[in-house]
Amino acid sequence: MTPWMSSGLIYASGLALTAGSVTLIYITTRTFNFAVASMATIGFYVSYTGVILYGGLPYKYYPFVIIIGSIVGLICYYGLNRHLLRRRAAEITLMMSTLGYDLVLLSMIQMYTDFLTKTYKLFPRRVTMNIYDFELFGEKAAAFILPFIAIVFLMGLHMFLTKTKFGVAMRATIENPVLAGASGINSDRVYLVAWVIGGGMAALGGAFIAMAQTGTPVMGMFIIPLMFAGAILGGLGSLYGGILGGFVIGMTEYAGVFYLAQRFGPWVLGYRMGIPLMLMAITLLIFPRGLAGIPLVKLFGLLAGKKRGVNA
Amino acid sequence: MLIVKNLNSGYGKLQILFDLNIEVPDKGLTVVVGPNGAGKTTLLCSIMGIANIFSGEIMFNNIPLAGELTYNLAKKGISYVPQMGNVFAELTVLDNLHMAGYLMPRDEAKDKAAQMTDIFPVLKKFILRKAGTLSGGERRMLAIAMGLMKNPKLMLLDELSTDLAPIIAEKVMMEVSRLRDELGITILMVEQMAKRALEIGDTAYLLVSGEVRYKGKADSLLHEPELCSMYLGIKPPADKKNSYALPTPEEGSE
Ligand SMILES: Nc1ncnc2c1ncn2[C@@H]1O[C@H](COP(=O)(O)OP(=O)(O)OP(=O)(O)O)[C@@H](O)[C@H]1O
Ligand SMILES: [Mg+2]
Repeated sequence: MTPWMSSGLIYASGLALTAGSVTLIYITTRTFNFAVASMATIGFYVSYTGVILYGGLPYKYYPFVIIIGSIVGLICYYGLNRHLLRRRAAEITLMMSTLGYDLVLLSMIQMYTDFLTKTYKLFPRRVTMNIYDFELFGEKAAAFILPFIAIVFLMGLHMFLTKTKFGVAMRATIENPVLAGASGINSDRVYLVAWVIGGGMAALGGAFIAMAQTGTPVMGMFIIPLMFAGAILGGLGSLYGGILGGFVIGMTEYAGVFYLAQRFGPWVLGYRMGIPLMLMAITLLIFPRGLAGIPLVKLFGLLAGKKRGVNA
Repeated sequence: MLIVKNLNSGYGKLQILFDLNIEVPDKGLTVVVGPNGAGKTTLLCSIMGIANIFSGEIMFNNIPLAGELTYNLAKKGISYVPQMGNVFAELTVLDNLHMAGYLMPRDEAKDKAAQMTDIFPVLKKFILRKAGTLSGGERRMLAIAMGLMKNPKLMLLDELSTDLAPIIAEKVMMEVSRLRDELGITILMVEQMAKRALEIGDTAYLLVSGEVRYKGKADSLLHEPELCSMYLGIKPPADKKNSYALPTPEEGSE
């Protein structure tokens, strides 16, 4: 693998999960979830705590990462989102309320790091997680394992959404809440499950991202523009679009930085976020509905047409 | 028996219905007709907990419905076939039927879905296609099938015959009257095909600008030439050589 690729794969898998989380919660509850930032950070600290206190590989602790993330999502739904949805709050209100929740979570993360520092004499404010990884084929093992876990997770999610009655009911509610309600589907439960899955996804994504970048209490806050960018690039309407969007954003950031720094010098590193955000802006200018809105059939037709020298 | 009493409702702060009183007798077919924008759909939405109720009562078998969440109303045995957005476009026809049977045990839902495809063979042909790819009429048939699936005590039907070829529309009307006659389902039906609906209906309401203009026996409304020509576009029966001349709208207004 080229040098940027292994870190890029790790990071992009994490962004795919977090962007998927943002999308899932948005398409179910109309809530653009700012708390995804701290949910991701929490995921990282759960895996860090496991490794530090109990040893072993970080992967071992991912089930706990998902569980804790789900609980954080559940609390956000029951404590906040549900009451606002019942009152048919505007989207802006829903969004701002999660910003408040994010700040609460952030303070709790800060307190937790202080607790780790004082009690265990650790340095939890700048953590390099990949030193706990092992090597596989001369690469970081995470570059293989994390995309694999992400794919398994997403396939499970896909099975749930297409093969189970409740999963289909969730899709029905996403598409047409009124008709779903009239069919007897309890939207309350659908929203709860969305927050639980979304919380787990965001936390897992955060644990992934910390395998490629330095883990800090504010890492989520720094990456959240890219999580949102991934969701927006995906068109904000389709879960799979959001996941793909997050992945594309992550890969472009790493690839872009690498090649541009080679070409123009290391000062490019300071502007690394600009690269995927520009990609998002350009994509949206051409395809206003994001990746999900790209008419693949037409696109292929266009390419085929070009080959034949036809002006499509 | 469904009773709507002094209902004032609308969307957000916008009031659409004004002091509406409607009674839907048990095992009867009650028809609501009226011009576009009269508030017919809003009436059904108010009953279903979708529109905002400002004041008034809605009682179904002496249980108050106003303020209930939509899915709880479905659990109480009320089935609603909306005028628009009445199928899940992203789901297959089969999944649509299964969702309509969401409150039933799995086997019962499967049986019911099979019954529906017998009534509407078109659906069987497209059973694994996404509902969004169906034609307008096919979609409407799926929506009706979804409404029928639910074993309802009360059905709220909003403009079933729209989009349907006349022959299918007639079939659907017959099906509706069969629901009442054979299964004893209480039905509240909004219909643009006013003449046919009033023929098969028991009671009728004419809704104009959010208020009830006429209430009475369904076929009697057909013999109100002024109302019929002004609001429903129905010409008075030609065979009757009685006193009324062809009404002009100006004369008909008061
Ligand atoms: N969701 C909504 N928000 C705001 N106003 C609405 C909404 N739905 C309907 N209205 C308005 O309420 C009024 C009544 O609409 P409604 O759909 O009840 O009429 P209708 O009698 O069903 O008409 P049609 O025969 O065309 O279906 C209309 O003036 C319409 O513009
Ligand atoms: Mg209507």
